Amino acid sequence: MKKITIDPITRLEGHGRIEIFLDDEGNVANAYLQVPELRGFEKFCEGRPVEEMPRITPRICGVCPSAHHMASAKATDAVYHVDPPSAAKKLRELYYCAHMCHSHIAHFYALAAPDFVLGPTSDPAQRNILGVIAKVGLEVGGEVIKHRAYAQDIQAVIGGKATHSVCGLPGGMSRAITEEERADFEEKAKSMVEFAKFSLKLFDDVVLANKEYLDIITGPVYTMQSYYMGLVDANNKVNFYDGDIRVVDPEGKEVSKFKPADYLEYIGEHTEPWSYLKFPFLKKVGWKGLVEGKESGVYRVAPLARLNVADGMATPLAQEAYERMYQTLGGKPVHATLATHWARLVELMYAAERLLELCQDKEVTDPNVRTIPTATPDEGVGVVEAPRGTLFHHYQTDERGIIKKVNLIVATGNNHAAICMSIKKAAQGLIKAGNVVSEGLLNMVEMAFRAYDPCLACATHSLPGQMPLEVIIYDTKGNIVERLSRNLS
Amino acid sequence: MKTLVLGLGNPILSDDSVGFRVAQALKGRFDEERVTVMETSLAGLSLLDLLLGYDRAIIIDSTQTGGRVGEVYRLNAKDFDTTRHAASPHDVNLATALELGKRLGLAVPKEIIIFAIEVQDVTTFSESLTPMVEQAIPQVVEMVLEEMGS
Repeated sequence: MKKITIDPITRLEGHGRIEIFLDDEGNVANAYLQVPELRGFEKFCEGRPVEEMPRITPRICGVCPSAHHMASAKATDAVYHVDPPSAAKKLRELYYCAHMCHSHIAHFYALAAPDFVLGPTSDPAQRNILGVIAKVGLEVGGEVIKHRAYAQDIQAVIGGKATHSVCGLPGGMSRAITEEERADFEEKAKSMVEFAKFSLKLFDDVVLANKEYLDIITGPVYTMQSYYMGLVDANNKVNFYDGDIRVVDPEGKEVSKFKPADYLEYIGEHTEPWSYLKFPFLKKVGWKGLVEGKESGVYRVAPLARLNVADGMATPLAQEAYERMYQTLGGKPVHATLATHWARLVELMYAAERLLELCQDKEVTDPNVRTIPTATPDEGVGVVEAPRGTLFHHYQTDERGIIKKVNLIVATGNNHAAICMSIKKAAQGLIKAGNVVSEGLLNMVEMAFRAYDPCLACATHSLPGQMPLEVIIYDTKGNIVERLSRNLS
Repeated sequence: MKTLVLGLGNPILSDDSVGFRVAQALKGRFDEERVTVMETSLAGLSLLDLLLGYDRAIIIDSTQTGGRVGEVYRLNAKDFDTTRHAASPHDVNLATALELGKRLGLAVPKEIIIFAIEVQDVTTFSESLTPMVEQAIPQVVEMVLEEMGS
């Protein structure tokens, strides 16, 4: 059997690796995502006051610190059995919508767009954000930077710091915002709505207008039948900050809807000897291995999953974009993994519109943003939708609020099985007996993985500050036959 | 001339915090009008935002190249040109971010110096450094001070 590994070129620890095993005929037998283990997180947290968790957990990952901050703040609310005032919840959601804008803009323009604006088989030296702006115009690059900065400013003002925020406390927020700040946010949010509209239009012009790209998106190589999970509000619309967790089957039918605190009743975690990262699955369906379909408990999270589980979007322009996406792709649910990029832009539209709504809600300047906890702390769960999927924080403390146990299920954990399966499927479709694995082909395999925007051991920022990948081919005896990498030379 | 001295890393992931530690040791050592000392866990486009407006940036970060632990390398932004791929699942790398800033006509620092410290452990959650990396701190501090004096 041959084995292909997509491996970090710099051999940095803390980075992922994709391994692809070939059979004797040179076809793909199996494919796995290997994630290096970060050790000792639970031990690091034990013995610390639970209210410190919203400041510790964002350090796990430098990419979505605000998602951890919010999930953690909500978990501390639950630990202390305290309900934050309405203004605090709105302020948190406003902050969180800014975070979604910030993250989704970066993913689309820096990571998704290069594959479509320049083409999946284009020269990797050009297939990046620089190539994108060279093609669509410098001014678009300026708009990307400007709107990311707007989103960052909003998070910095509310959060107290630009990234690792300090605003979320058990029972609410550390401080309210002023009318002047609100008015400034409102102007930025208006601009964000326009930019989201522009981004959807760009997707239309560049991706949807190109039949070849649409065929890639909807083709069998990138399609996978699975369950989907995501937060919905009381009307079953997508919500990033709060709500119930809804699960739909591969036909789009609701199979579960539950409170975040009950997650352990619905989610099991399968382990494999070859991976430290667990494989969450739906308990009611059961773990049947890395297989797709209704009989398998594998589920997916992230933008496409959120849209698949919801009955729609809570804001008008996002709803319009949502309907257009499902009409174009043949109805709900959509199983085309690469449609995640489109779903991400629909969500950008929603995040921007919801941001504006909240900025125009005068209650966000209400100074009452904290309910002081009075109950004895014990245990609590906090859930938000991170940009890349559902994020669970679960803490247990002693009666003084000192951490005894921590359990996190991060977005990429939820998607772990699906990512392995998507890579395998893409590899099977693209690597056939006798064909030479080219750089372009390698990128087509990576595209399956990139759609999930996976968060691996991304807490490390060691130089060169990125996660390069490499492909290695192994034979049936486990020998390396070929190593395909983007060489540094 | 405005200079940014920036410690990069993760303060709770063992040796990945070395950039933070060096930055902390450098606080109060410069004229605050001209030199800003900062720590951050940001990368890519977000890092670009931080660098804008400075004439010169001195970045301190951990690295793993297979060299001797505790060794310090003085690099410049050009040394990262060859890794200009959008392979990161989240963001662009430093070279790409800087190039983007230049093309957009943003106030990117004219000079960027990177001190990279060869580290051992960046996968264990801890606020401590491994001994060889801990021992390297005074040397890195000296190197930055020397750089600033020149």
